[in-house]
Amino acid sequence: MIAVIAMALGVVAGVVLHPTVPPELEPYLPIAVVAAMDAVFGGLRARLEHIFDAKVFVVSFVSNVFVAAMIVFFGDQLGVGGALSTAVVVVLGIRIFGNAAAIRRQVFHA
Amino acid sequence: MTQPSAPSRATAAFGAQGLLLDLINNPADPGYAAVAARRMKRDEPRQQVKDKVLTAVGAALIGVLLVVAYLHTHRIAPATSRTHDALVSKVRSAQQDARALQQQIETLQSQISDVRDRILPRAGQLLNELQLMRIEAGTLAVFGSGVLVTLGAQTKSGVTPAPRAGSTSIATTSTLTDRDVRSVVNELWHDGAEAISVNDIRLTPTSAIRFAGQAVLVDFQPVTSPYRIRAIGDPDVLVTNFASSAVVSRYHTLAGLGDVQFSFAEQPRVDIKAGTVAAVHYAQAAS
Repeated sequence: MIAVIAMALGVVAGVVLHPTVPPELEPYLPIAVVAAMDAVFGGLRARLEHIFDAKVFVVSFVSNVFVAAMIVFFGDQLGVGGALSTAVVVVLGIRIFGNAAAIRRQVFHA
Repeated sequence: MTQPSAPSRATAAFGAQGLLLDLINNPADPGYAAVAARRMKRDEPRQQVKDKVLTAVGAALIGVLLVVAYLHTHRIAPATSRTHDALVSKVRSAQQDARALQQQIETLQSQISDVRDRILPRAGQLLNELQLMRIEAGTLAVFGSGVLVTLGAQTKSGVTPAPRAGSTSIATTSTLTDRDVRSVVNELWHDGAEAISVNDIRLTPTSAIRFAGQAVLVDFQPVTSPYRIRAIGDPDVLVTNFASSAVVSRYHTLAGLGDVQFSFAEQPRVDIKAGTVAAVHYAQAAS
């Protein structure tokens, strides 16, 4: 519950403050979004399974974003940025999908 | 529930494939299960306040990130399309202006020739000379027997797109450049063509064939593949010389390799429109 309220507050803060994204960080934004969604779904699933832990949630989110950005950054430097971004999105996408399925099983028992 | 031992089992059993199987079968972060197991073992009490604050901070961070990404994407898109639309409409209006000016030139030209016809004696020496000069200068529409050369770029199907957008070079997307059109045109002049047009744009002594972006410009007017090059001249001399030239054999070879389309045929009647020549401003007759 508190997480939902905090996220809503974050959304409002984002709308109000309107932070601009520096152009050199732009390529990492989509990756960060996918990593964030992965953290959200992972956390939700853990909560439904009664094993949610705040530290794991925050650390997994931050490290996911960081590692994903690193992969894309080094890929960019070495000329395989596009391919590695795809790899990151595929891996995190599979996880999101799997977690969503687990959540569905928990909620609907189906 | 995640079994912490399952990933290692799958990895051990299937090697690299196991890694992929793990990825699909166990999407849950093992961290949650590990912490829960540790807590169970040690029977640690949950730190309610700290947990809540951490969760709230993390969730708020994610919220900000998502909304920033959303705003960023949707703020940029209209700006880009706006710029694009503005540029397109600018180009359109410039093209319309150019067309109107072209029409004006044509009407003025016809007025000039009307006036001239009235002044000059009919079928005189002077008129003949003038007409010949105007044909050479390309300011008179002409017809006659000639040749039609078609030079087209074969659309490449096997080209892999560049890993990053914007890094595709021109050479990989269009096989034909201004050099190809120019070499055919120069060969036709060399073979005795009296008038030439490229995609219905008449070539004059001051015409330029250039390359800008991905378009071939003939007198600053973009033309696209296939390039239809019409030339008027003695069909026997023109076609024979052209057929035996190095240029033709080169493009026949390229066409055989499937890189370009190339063909030419003798035409009993070729119509070539009048071109416009920039007025001579600086050069003066020496005598």
